[in-house]
Amino acid sequence: MNEITITIDGKSVQTQEGEFILNAARSNGIFIPAICYLTRCSPTLACRICLVEADGKQVYACNAKAKDGMSIVTSTSTIEDEKRAIMEVYDVNHPLECGVCDQSGECELQNYTLEMGVDSQTYSIADTHKPAQDWGLIHYDPALCIMCERCITVCKDMIGDGALSTVARGGDAIEAAFKETMPKDAYAMWNKLNKSLIAPNAGDTLDCTNCGECTSVCPVGALVSSDYQYSANAWEHTQIPATCAHCSAGCQISYDIKHTSITDPEDKIYRVKNEWNYVSLCGAGRYGYDFQNSDVQKDAVKFDAAVAAFKKADTISFTSTITNEEAMILQRLKEKFGYRLINEEARVFKAFLNSYSTISGQSLYSGNLKEVHESDFVVSIGSALKTDNPNARFAMNNAITMNKGAGLYFHPINDPVINDMSKNVTQFNHAAMMEEAALYLMLDLFGDKSAMPSEVVSYLATFHSTKMVTIEETIDEKVTETVVKKVLNEETGIEEEVSEEVTKTVKKKVSKEVEVDTNRLYELLNAPEGFADTLTKYLAKKEKFALMVGPDLYSHPNSINCARLVALIEKYTAFNVTMIPNLSNTLGTALICDLDATAGSYTIGYNTAGNFTLSALGNGDLDMPALNQQEGTLTSIDKRVNPTNVAVGFGGYTLNDIANALGFNERLTVNYTKQLPVNAGFKAVEFDTLPNHYTNAGEEMRGYVLTTSSVSINGDESVSRFDESAAMRKGIVYLANPVLQFTPFTAKAHQLKESGGLYASAAFMSANGVNEGDRVRVKTDKGEIVVNVIADGKIDGEIPYLPTFDTQINSSTLFNGYRFATVSIQKV
Amino acid sequence: MDVAFIIETIVKIVVILLVFSALAGFGTYFERKVLAFMQRRLGPMHVGPYGLLQVAADGIKLFTKEDIIPQNVVKPIFKLAPVITAATAFMAAAAIPFWPEFTAFGYKVHPIVADVNVGILYVMAVMAIGLYGPLLGGMASANKFSLISAARSAAVFISYEVITGLALLAPLMMVGSLSLIDINNYQTGGISNWIAVSQPVAFILFWIAAFAETGRTPFHLVANDHEIIDGFGTEYSGMRWGLFFIGEYANMFFISFVMAIIFLGGYGDGSIAGALQLLLKVAFFFFFFLWTRAAWPDIRPDQLMWLCWKVLMPIAVVNVVITGVVILIKQGGM
Amino acid sequence: MHVEPFTDRNVSEQSAYYYVDIENYPVTGWDKFKQVVKRSIKGELFVGLWVVMRELIKFDIHTVQYPKEKLPIGPRYRAVHKLLRLWESGFERCIGCGLCEKICISDCIRMDTRIDENSRKEVTEYSINLGRCIFCGYCAEVCPELAIVHGDRYENASEQRAHFVIKDDMLTPLDFLTSGQQKEYPGFGAITPHEDERVAKTPLAY
Repeated sequence: MNEITITIDGKSVQTQEGEFILNAARSNGIFIPAICYLTRCSPTLACRICLVEADGKQVYACNAKAKDGMSIVTSTSTIEDEKRAIMEVYDVNHPLECGVCDQSGECELQNYTLEMGVDSQTYSIADTHKPAQDWGLIHYDPALCIMCERCITVCKDMIGDGALSTVARGGDAIEAAFKETMPKDAYAMWNKLNKSLIAPNAGDTLDCTNCGECTSVCPVGALVSSDYQYSANAWEHTQIPATCAHCSAGCQISYDIKHTSITDPEDKIYRVKNEWNYVSLCGAGRYGYDFQNSDVQKDAVKFDAAVAAFKKADTISFTSTITNEEAMILQRLKEKFGYRLINEEARVFKAFLNSYSTISGQSLYSGNLKEVHESDFVVSIGSALKTDNPNARFAMNNAITMNKGAGLYFHPINDPVINDMSKNVTQFNHAAMMEEAALYLMLDLFGDKSAMPSEVVSYLATFHSTKMVTIEETIDEKVTETVVKKVLNEETGIEEEVSEEVTKTVKKKVSKEVEVDTNRLYELLNAPEGFADTLTKYLAKKEKFALMVGPDLYSHPNSINCARLVALIEKYTAFNVTMIPNLSNTLGTALICDLDATAGSYTIGYNTAGNFTLSALGNGDLDMPALNQQEGTLTSIDKRVNPTNVAVGFGGYTLNDIANALGFNERLTVNYTKQLPVNAGFKAVEFDTLPNHYTNAGEEMRGYVLTTSSVSINGDESVSRFDESAAMRKGIVYLANPVLQFTPFTAKAHQLKESGGLYASAAFMSANGVNEGDRVRVKTDKGEIVVNVIADGKIDGEIPYLPTFDTQINSSTLFNGYRFATVSIQKV
Repeated sequence: MDVAFIIETIVKIVVILLVFSALAGFGTYFERKVLAFMQRRLGPMHVGPYGLLQVAADGIKLFTKEDIIPQNVVKPIFKLAPVITAATAFMAAAAIPFWPEFTAFGYKVHPIVADVNVGILYVMAVMAIGLYGPLLGGMASANKFSLISAARSAAVFISYEVITGLALLAPLMMVGSLSLIDINNYQTGGISNWIAVSQPVAFILFWIAAFAETGRTPFHLVANDHEIIDGFGTEYSGMRWGLFFIGEYANMFFISFVMAIIFLGGYGDGSIAGALQLLLKVAFFFFFFLWTRAAWPDIRPDQLMWLCWKVLMPIAVVNVVITGVVILIKQGGM
Repeated sequence: MHVEPFTDRNVSEQSAYYYVDIENYPVTGWDKFKQVVKRSIKGELFVGLWVVMRELIKFDIHTVQYPKEKLPIGPRYRAVHKLLRLWESGFERCIGCGLCEKICISDCIRMDTRIDENSRKEVTEYSINLGRCIFCGYCAEVCPELAIVHGDRYENASEQRAHFVIKDDMLTPLDFLTSGQQKEYPGFGAITPHEDERVAKTPLAY
């Protein structure tokens, strides 16, 4: 990418070569109207309002790329006529219900209608009856829809569900007279608008992961959250800038708060909003906002009991759904009183990170999700991507869709959501425990064999063998023929038949005997047939490689070896590595706290079980504030320390109060922000100085990025071989959460309330003769539980999974650290 | 001492107390009505016919209201101050003849509590002690505005005592007695004998000073409602405030009596007609207090002091000198 | 009581106002003394006394004995608010758009809305904090449906501050509506006379 200079309205602007004119203008503060364009997605060309004149030619700013020296004029009389006509057309038959519409003034139709000065209507057409539709969490009112198709675009290009598309609208055709009298682009836009409506691909209801991003991007009130509908006006909300507390993506959100009702002046979160041009939320982030620990009063007796328990205790057990500051307090408590800190998932992550560092020489992994977005070849190993970190999945989908990329997905559970991303994604549904094989395969396929340690090279060579096979080779052959095809005339909107002579290449198959190299790793990893050829196709013209590794590796019995293999991949291949932390603040916790492996005799549990429990879920011995009731920072997968703020008040005690009662003296929890350990990469900055927004150019101004420091390495790059016999192929169960759930906090939110069970695919249910709702006994060598079977349409294959979000199901006791366990499942 | 005399005196004291307490109450009613009519209003209308029972309503209110003693006041003095005002007002009444002698049930009644031979001196002296009410009340109130009011009231009272004294000196020189009965008797024989005719300057000066002594508009600076809230009475409530009020109105009546007796011939020859004339004269003076309140604005404190020391006092002194010279000439010449 | 003295407000410099001729203030003591003497002798004081005495004698009383007598109030008088209903259907006019809430300069209007069974926006509760309301009338001005108006009820003394200010108190009762007692206010959105005759086909092209 080269820096180039273009001129927009006489102003000289620096931008990248190949950048869209619209983005170049936006990042330099020049206003070009655009309705259908979404920053990180492909141009739709539905609204046509971003018309500009580039070097004397009318182009659409959203899909015309900037060239060096280009001179752009944003406003000419023709363009102004077009824009006004376009807005007039959008206003045709648009219901005059702005007074009750949920967009309540945050409406791009309203804004642009006023911007273009539309004060009279020239066009008309008979209206059609378009009843509103309820799609579960999402409500669609087609009467309000202006067919900008942003919902379709974001669903396909960003989210990867592709759950929406256009259907025929019905109704009259546009009067022919308008074609002559109207500006050209306005007519074309109308022609398209008048033919279609949005509809789910699955018929009447949405079949998707319910991220709700479509409601977020909708410029009008057509797509709204069903729950929010008619409950408040946008202007009444105070927007609390925050960071989503549910997973490690740490998405920028704002909690929109308002008093609860006339009789209750307490603040309530009505909805969550996001900067949808630069960050996409998952459903848990969007709908799981009201997880606060409400109606808590200061109870001095309980507080004294808590202080007494802290004096008695020798262990503090906690989860990673805490802020960095709280983690810092826990670490300080450990330093002062010698508590053991127990947080198993953070401990294994820390161990993984540390062993990675011993080879890579870096304290932190090299990649982040932004780089995944920008890459064109994405590999995911050891993560149930869509539920471990939905944003990682969006990044992979966005990279593959937008950058003409390809991807590999290594996971024992087949995920149809990954298949839906693109045909250029291959899933390896390998056996459990074979993650190391996947890592070795990466080294084998992409590693620089001349530089890699010779032991590894020779070990990899043992998987290769050559044999003679008969293959069918395709040869291109040119054929000329006459075809009659239907062409859609853009101007009339009518299909016309045109015959033309076409020369096309036909693939012809020829059998041939060749010597091929077979890679037994493919077989071990259940690679699809002919993967070697697929890979060659995938790798054509690829420049940026991204690898995401997930929690399966951290909890793996050989996680240390996995970490070293990951480091080798980073060192000897073109991949940059991003690690997906398990929970919201696993990375921060791992960096701040010295974690212990074994608990003592008396445990304080913070949001987890213990002899004395502090809980933000409201079920413990002392109530704690939930993450939407605290200010503090969370460390995200992007190695960013993001600030979050208090959305709703908390009346009780905080961990800082306990620490103060035990001899510390900090008035606020956020006083610890500047005390976060600098040697772990944190910066000594005040909480109040941390920004939390995106600039017009899309630059992420949120908190700060952790400093990666170099770690001394001893040159030992040895890795152990993996044990093929350890593969767990049949009768296993996975520990993961369904879509929309992460922790008990998400399940507490009123829109996401559900109880867990054994989530199983249709294939599993038919193979094992169970139906949805059946009670089954799930038994491993560690224990057994009885749960309901819940059908999950978003997985495939024969491995069911147990959730962790439901506190009623003590699922983690069945597992021995690793996220897979051999299991017997019987109907009861 | 004669038991009958004691009983008579006690009865007279009780009658004066009751009558003038009631009059003070009705004085407020009249004031409200007169002011209202002069301002095209109706005044009190709701309690009783034409609001006549408004006085009773106010009395009930004042008596039943919570007696608030603010936290930082000097409590004994704060409690005492209203009593001083009311008590001195009524004490002054002791030497005032309200009515000529008359005979009831064969008993000769002197409608004066104590016919002392220095009557007017006693009245002036006791009224001067009345200064301590507002002064102590204001100073004890722990309130800046009360304090300002107290300081003003001290300044005004002391200054205008000079005017009243000097203004009275000339008539007294003519009469040659300090007894109010003697003064009254000096004027019997018609309007031409009234001291107001022979001493018009003294009369006007005393009248002006009476406004200052009673703190009425246009010299209502002691408790200037729009400037220092209610002055020394700011912190008072209930009946304590009511005592200040009764004191003020009783003072208005007594000073009206004093003016009527000294300058306008009093009850004249002692006939019933003369007695009624006295009441009419008192009523006029009282009405004039209300009248000026409706018509005139208050003057500034500095103007008040300027008026006292630079205008009224020299005039009074000149008046005394001229009176003296005239008496000397008359006596010497005769 | 007559309305005329209240309605005749045609005040102009010529008609009602005149300037008081103020002399220069005296500077020296002698000047001040002269002024006092002049004013005393000229009888300015007695003019004042005469004026009030004249009024006392004329006895032209203007007092309105309020609870018994009441002054007529103007049609645009801005007293306690009312929520109106639609004439024919009896439905509530308020659509819950929240503009009154937004425009309220003393921030005293609040409403609760929800989606009702017919998928319409329903105002479940509406309140005006009369303790804060300054009766500016902006809410009535901005209301697109002429739903909130100022009524003529200005006697809002009550045992509790909360009286008169919730939806049930402000909304026209249905029996009031049917008996034609809902007052209609002139203004934007109001029913004009002979409305039915004026109704014409909408000017859309189809």
